Amino acid sequence: MKDLFVHRTARGLTVPFVIVICVLLAAVGSARATSTAQVEVGFVGVPPPNFQNVLLNVQSVRINRNTDAGPANGAWETIPVPPGIGDVPQNADLQIDLNTSQDEPQLFNTASVRPDTYTIAEIQLDPNNPGTLIPDCPRIPQPVGSTADGCINYPFQLALNTNVITVTNTNPGGLIAPKKGTLAQLFLQVSLMINQAPTTPGGPYTVTVTMQSPPTNPLQLGTITGSVSGSATAATRGIRQLAVTAEAIGTNTPIATAPVQNGKFNLALPAAGGPTGIYGFGTLYDLALAGGGDTYGAARLPPLYPGQPLSQNFAPKGSQTLGNITGTVNDNCVATKPIVGATLQLLIPPDSVTITPPATPATFCIEFPEQCVAVATANTDNAGDFPLPGTLTIPAEFENVPVLPKKASYAMEITAPGYDSFFVQAIPSAGNKGGTCTTSPAGTAFTTCEFALNTGYISGTIPITPPNPGQTTLVQVFAEDHGTNNIESSLPMPLVVTNSNVGTCPGPPSYSCVSFTLNVPTSDTVPQGFDLFATTIDLYQGVSDPFQGHTTAVLADVAAPPPPSAPGICSTTTTANFPLDQNIDCVGHGSVIGGPSGVANADLGTSVVLSKDNVQITNTAVQNVTTDNPNNSYAFCVPADTYQLQRLQLPVPAYSVVPSSSPTPVLDTNTVTVTIPPPPLFNTPKPTPSATATGGPTPTATLTPTPVATPTPNVKCPTTCTNPDGSCPGICNNVIQTIPD
Amino acid sequence: MAGRAMRCLVRTLSMSALGAALAVSVAACNNQTGFSGSVGNTPNGPALASYEILGTLGTPFTATVSDAQSSWTLQGNVPLSVIICNNVLPARIIATKTTSNSNLLSLEAILGAIVIDLQSTSAPFGTVSVQAGGTLNSISAPAFPDLRIFAAGPADQRYSALVEDITTGFVINSRAPTLILFDSPDGKVDATFFGNSQFPTFTLNMTLNGAVVATVVHGPDATIREP
Repeated sequence: MKDLFVHRTARGLTVPFVIVICVLLAAVGSARATSTAQVEVGFVGVPPPNFQNVLLNVQSVRINRNTDAGPANGAWETIPVPPGIGDVPQNADLQIDLNTSQDEPQLFNTASVRPDTYTIAEIQLDPNNPGTLIPDCPRIPQPVGSTADGCINYPFQLALNTNVITVTNTNPGGLIAPKKGTLAQLFLQVSLMINQAPTTPGGPYTVTVTMQSPPTNPLQLGTITGSVSGSATAATRGIRQLAVTAEAIGTNTPIATAPVQNGKFNLALPAAGGPTGIYGFGTLYDLALAGGGDTYGAARLPPLYPGQPLSQNFAPKGSQTLGNITGTVNDNCVATKPIVGATLQLLIPPDSVTITPPATPATFCIEFPEQCVAVATANTDNAGDFPLPGTLTIPAEFENVPVLPKKASYAMEITAPGYDSFFVQAIPSAGNKGGTCTTSPAGTAFTTCEFALNTGYISGTIPITPPNPGQTTLVQVFAEDHGTNNIESSLPMPLVVTNSNVGTCPGPPSYSCVSFTLNVPTSDTVPQGFDLFATTIDLYQGVSDPFQGHTTAVLADVAAPPPPSAPGICSTTTTANFPLDQNIDCVGHGSVIGGPSGVANADLGTSVVLSKDNVQITNTAVQNVTTDNPNNSYAFCVPADTYQLQRLQLPVPAYSVVPSSSPTPVLDTNTVTVTIPPPPLFNTPKPTPSATATGGPTPTATLTPTPVATPTPNVKCPTTCTNPDGSCPGICNNVIQTIPD
Repeated sequence: MAGRAMRCLVRTLSMSALGAALAVSVAACNNQTGFSGSVGNTPNGPALASYEILGTLGTPFTATVSDAQSSWTLQGNVPLSVIICNNVLPARIIATKTTSNSNLLSLEAILGAIVIDLQSTSAPFGTVSVQAGGTLNSISAPAFPDLRIFAAGPADQRYSALVEDITTGFVINSRAPTLILFDSPDGKVDATFFGNSQFPTFTLNMTLNGAVVATVVHGPDATIREP
């Protein structure tokens, strides 16, 4: 629902952590690993204009040395979807969006292959469901009865009637020529062109998908190389392979991982270029060295630019005793309630940071976590236990923690949505003891790593128009730090609203409403409290609707509940009743886009925030900034309503400077108000004849490839929702709104 | 002509046999293959869809699962396979990321080896929703009894399991971790999990109406029974 602007690169990389595991799987301890090369595959998107999303369902990529190799040729080398998506046998798809990979490549996966010169590459799309297109709303008003709606899913079929997309290069170097023990990159530029729009309601687009390699657009890619001294223990059963992981700065979000081979590593990473600065905008990364029975290593790097390599060396100590850290995370306010999905991270300072006693690396990272790097991550299972199990060959990260000398400790951060996060010092233990932890700043009184997190509650009501009998409206409520887009919590289960279970709130006049109670943190929020917003999860003509058709209700500046007065005393609740003017109502879809002028003077640090009544609802990165024909585009699919748009700008990283922490984006104080008119209604006694029935700006009329309007008077409601009189929203409206400098 | 007919017949029979084998190997219901003995004396159940919550490993989420008869709320981390035994289609699953990062959350409904519906999001606290077996307009009432079996184990290895109440057995071929929801069980439920020789141990939890009623840690095979 909501895009948090962390960094442009991090957003574009949708499968980071899984790549880590895949690389490790590919290289672990087999004889094959020593005689193979690594290939990293990524995509660069060239989407058609006027689509909110251009989604391809990829099952695998494979390469061959023979351009005329048949499907059953034994020389194919397959790069599968990452294990976080698929497994063996393959039965899942990785969905890639060509829109979000226009400026920077989206990494797909890394796999071991035979050293060779490969002349052909194929993308294998899901033959049953090759992909989905979500167009913006039509830019010209559609006739009553049209079914050419926008902001909904459309399937597509391939014009060539094959799910395999191919690119070849018969030059001596082929497409890619990975050498033994090295990492090579194969980046595929994927273009999708519309051949024919749907001619029947819900029908598929007919499209042509083509590939080029190398991409014709400037490839936003940089490399990081380095050496690792010392003698790592070879990856064997029970010991993870020594590897270097690149993470988005200040996060535990892995972008890519490279195994250390012959004391060296090589990472190829997205690097923000564009017109900014000498070499471009620059992308900030942390590096984490872990595995092989070595001590951990960490580095924070200066900006990485396209074509500008960085170097980073590590000098870990080898042959360490490996221990584990295990335990549980529970709710401190509800007896025996485990917290599922809590995240635990071990933090260490970058190797370049000198810690002055009596401070220790652990106390430094507890005091300055933003300056430290995550080197191991774990999550809790459905019983609140951590870590999730690994395998015999790849144990969980928390099962392979180097035991520090003199019983020294690591800093460990425990976080869970809706709960207070906190830090402890943790000492791993060999064997099955699970280590010990303490919250004592002095590093004393270590006990088992059993944690109980505090929480508070916000309870209130949301006005809503009841769904018609037999229908259900699902309402989700979010809490974010006031004045920011940093979401802290959401309901564990959407509110299920029916015609019969909706409540009545006192007025005057009284109105229909639903009640909610939301877990929120008490101690680590900004002092002002929270902003709340409530959205719906809808269907469109009976299938999953990617965007909601009901208005978004907002409530700004809700006081945060106070922290528990004593352990286990957690009955701290704040009341938050949404006002009646925030009634959740059926209004239909709408879209707002940047048009040909887009966002003035945007770079790869620019995004656009969409707010309603001073509550930030969503944001999106500006796209198509660095291509040959940039238009600095943005687009939102949101319910028809009035919103504010603002520029959110990440500061340009200083050239060659290592930042102490992740930079914070700045919200422009200038706002642009935009009103998306509601769609005309289907199935009313007097259908609204035009798209401007309720006022607001007239949608800008421009030529655009939209679905063919097929007048169909028999559209059945609900479309995305239904009004009490049985009518429902028709074809949505689009508004073009440029964002000035 | 007769030879062609014979070849056609042989081909048809071969494909039928292959199809039957595949049907057993995927998430389907048949207790007649590999599950003889002390368990598996129940008749076959209908085909099951599985709901795969995929994406960036470790991404936390909350989800609501509903078929035409019951619904469940759960929390977990990517990846997680969710299977409803005794399911009454249509079914719908809604998942929301519970983290403010750009990790991928992909929700896929799979029947056999075919992805029949999928949605993905990289948005912080993004929500995705998929359906199987048609349109489910309303979320059903919470399951009662709410019987769940959570099977943890190595995430990159598949296993088979027989899950049964006193009347019906369901064969599952999946990968850990898996959350098995048993809709309206008839009597008590038991389940036997079969890993391959490389499968170290299963960690099984059975919860009934929110309370853990059985826990088993064993491998490469493990059996858990409702007390």
